[in-house]
Amino acid sequence: MKSVFLMLALGAALAAAEVRLPKYTREVLPNGTVVYLMPKPGVPLVSFQIEIKGGQEAEPVGQAGLASVTAALLRKGTASHTADQFSNELDGLGGTFRASRDEQSTTIASEFLKKDFDQGLNLTADAILHPVFPEAEVKKFIGQAIDGVKAAKDNPQAAIRLYARAFFYGPDHPYGRVEDEATLGKISRDSIVEFHKQYYTGKNMIVVVTGDFEPAAARDAVAKVFGAAPAGEAYRWQTRPAVSVKAPRLLLIDKPDATQTYFWIAQPGISKTEPGRTTVELANTLFGGRFTSLLNDALRVNSGLTYGAGAILDENRLPGAITIATYTRTDTTEKTMDMALDVLKKFNETGMTAVQLASIKAYVKGTFPTRRLETSDQLANELSEMEIFGLNRGEVDDLFSRIDSVTVEQVNASVKQHYRPENLTFVVLGNSAKIRGLMKKYSGDVSEVSIKDPGFGK
Amino acid sequence: MKQLALLALVPACLLAQTAPVQTHTLDNGLKILVQEDHAIPNVAMYLFFKIGSRNERPGITGISHFFEHMMFNGAKKYGPKQFDNEMEKAGGNNNAYTSNDLTVYTDWFPSTALELMFDMESDRMRDLAFDPKIIQSERGVVYSERRTSVDNSNYGVLSEQLEAAAFTAHPYHWPVVGWPSDIEAWTMDDLRAHYKMGYAPNNCVMVVVGDVTADQVVALAKKYIEPIPRQDPPPPVRTKEPEQKGERRVTVVKPAQLPLVLVAYHAPATGSPDYTALEVADTLLTSGQSSRLYRRMVDTDQLVLSVRAQQRPTFDPSLFTFSLAPRAGVDPARTEKVLYEELGELQTTPVPDSELRKAKNQLLAGHYRQLKTIAGRANLLGSYEVFYGDYRKLYTAGDDIEKVTAADVQRVARQYFTAQNRTVATLIPEASPAAKKEVKQ
Repeated sequence: MKSVFLMLALGAALAAAEVRLPKYTREVLPNGTVVYLMPKPGVPLVSFQIEIKGGQEAEPVGQAGLASVTAALLRKGTASHTADQFSNELDGLGGTFRASRDEQSTTIASEFLKKDFDQGLNLTADAILHPVFPEAEVKKFIGQAIDGVKAAKDNPQAAIRLYARAFFYGPDHPYGRVEDEATLGKISRDSIVEFHKQYYTGKNMIVVVTGDFEPAAARDAVAKVFGAAPAGEAYRWQTRPAVSVKAPRLLLIDKPDATQTYFWIAQPGISKTEPGRTTVELANTLFGGRFTSLLNDALRVNSGLTYGAGAILDENRLPGAITIATYTRTDTTEKTMDMALDVLKKFNETGMTAVQLASIKAYVKGTFPTRRLETSDQLANELSEMEIFGLNRGEVDDLFSRIDSVTVEQVNASVKQHYRPENLTFVVLGNSAKIRGLMKKYSGDVSEVSIKDPGFGK
Repeated sequence: MKQLALLALVPACLLAQTAPVQTHTLDNGLKILVQEDHAIPNVAMYLFFKIGSRNERPGITGISHFFEHMMFNGAKKYGPKQFDNEMEKAGGNNNAYTSNDLTVYTDWFPSTALELMFDMESDRMRDLAFDPKIIQSERGVVYSERRTSVDNSNYGVLSEQLEAAAFTAHPYHWPVVGWPSDIEAWTMDDLRAHYKMGYAPNNCVMVVVGDVTADQVVALAKKYIEPIPRQDPPPPVRTKEPEQKGERRVTVVKPAQLPLVLVAYHAPATGSPDYTALEVADTLLTSGQSSRLYRRMVDTDQLVLSVRAQQRPTFDPSLFTFSLAPRAGVDPARTEKVLYEELGELQTTPVPDSELRKAKNQLLAGHYRQLKTIAGRANLLGSYEVFYGDYRKLYTAGDDIEKVTAADVQRVARQYFTAQNRTVATLIPEASPAAKKEVKQ
């Protein structure tokens, strides 16, 4: 592969003067469920995407992973299907069904052939509204999830993300409570049933149907099935300030057999609803969000130190992080970390030129349609994000004019504010025996764990 | 509850309903496939060069993959960095991949950038630059890619060993990314010769899907690509893998949280009549939570975290590989034994009709999902053109799946899933009881 890029939540077309969301309807059922219908004829498939507000944020302290365990068990036995029956019916239709949670919601997404609309809808709704969480399935799945934590540690790129989240946000922040062997072990069937009862309710649910279907019939079918859910209580979103870091801090994870060092360098960033987000997205794309970005150009193209270097801009309900992420062979750890920091420092000092900004604008617009508007599932994502984050269709319809209106002065003010070279959070995974001594160069506050230790940090 | 016996059919003809494809072959032998689709103002342009690691030899392994990188490092008109800079400035992005058989360049861009893309693709097809400094730097990048995908990946390191053991003679023996010593050693002469052999227009299929017209594409191809001369195609790969005469076993001991087991059987090339029957077997065994191996190994016996099977498209006979991820505390040998029990069941008892129907539906719907994006269609059309020799085989892929009978599945299971035909690779975590046993032996 030429590159494996850290794709960010943005993207857009030079060709089109602007893009618009296709036509859709939004309706609130009497029980509070919000229903979006967006017919998009073409490929005869229909997608159902259901969002349950809360996600990781709603997981109780000490039971990290409760929302994801609940989601995974939805299909493992319902009022009218055993787990086997559910799987047989789903696979027999050639359908797909996945359920997972992110920071702010649980997402259940399924897809069926157009002709199977009713059966697909009923099967999806049965899992969401009528799961029975058999004790044996709960026990089985939690055992698998605990082994899954071990498996994640055999994949350094997946593991460092989990360590970095736990370390950056800390245990007092919902995003810092990463599921591990201990928290998964505390989850019981009772807590799953309770979580489902509290959150999988009408006032907390968004149902998005996209693809090839008859709108009138679909509307009635969806209203009948999801309108029957109890209304419940609307989820109350948490509020948190951005993470505050007063001095550089560093977590070193020892993996003695590693022949390269993986590192993440994080600092406080923005939320999904930050008013200046378009400007930060443009800045991040130049910094580390495309192949010719400043980071990839310096660390890969000019020096051959790594296969890829990028910057991740979190965009969630609560303010998140902006993170440099890359890796290099063990003996070039110092050179590569220094170079990454140097790129950051120079970016902060000099920002970008008008020529660079024009290129970034064209890139973000040109790649937007294939990244966000091409398929039914992408469109379902747009609609559900709008609803969850309290945004509106202007997110898409006005995107190009928002991008066009950003000036060099604005983007550089944003760079000064968000891409800072001080008080950084470092997470480094590698062969400690060879790189431990180097770490104090970056922080006076170094802690170390072994990858063999349970959990993801101290 | 619906009975499985009543499973409806996923219509096979759906695959045939994709929009028409227009073709044109340039005088220099480059074949072009165009599918117009104006739903979004974007284009997917894929260039399939029929060169991969099977066209290499010891000493230059990985050189095809290295070229995949070098093609972005400057040519005559567009110098170093300019391919990516110009493309991103025009609102496009790209990637590329190399396999045992192919090197594929994947360009995605707004339709306004169509001519620029032809200009840049023809520039690097004809006049790639060979700057020693850039070559040295790119070796570092490729080595980093190898460290990430092989050396520091348990799956990567194990599958490399598996393939090296399963193939003793055929070039599928060596990894696509190349042996480390070769990455460090190939010379300027090696590079020039390989470029001349692989990157000729007559060795390429170009697929363009999206907001274009066929006339537009053909006119630009004539202007930019037709003047590039033909070359001799890569010499045929003569070596055939001798029949395997007994089970082979490989062990890798390294620090790890959990073991891994790979079980590979020699299997026919893409396009062989048995290939589709094996795809159906793969689906029955591992696709979805209703599949046989998921139910037995993940769910009922709780032996593994996951079980997968892979049969990748190839020009020459390749491998059908199962990947098992044993749970903590489970002896890898036990997971192997249960896998063989299930394969034995497939060999001895015909698959019930309802289960066969389910697998076919899954396969058909899965094929169909690949048509959702312009990129997916470009990849699918090109893959059918190069592996089956005709993109129109895509239209009948559904019929081929429909034709597979329970007897076919039983026959291919008996023919290929035999102990004599298999290679087993096991990754054993250092310091585990199994690793200690391995050291003593």
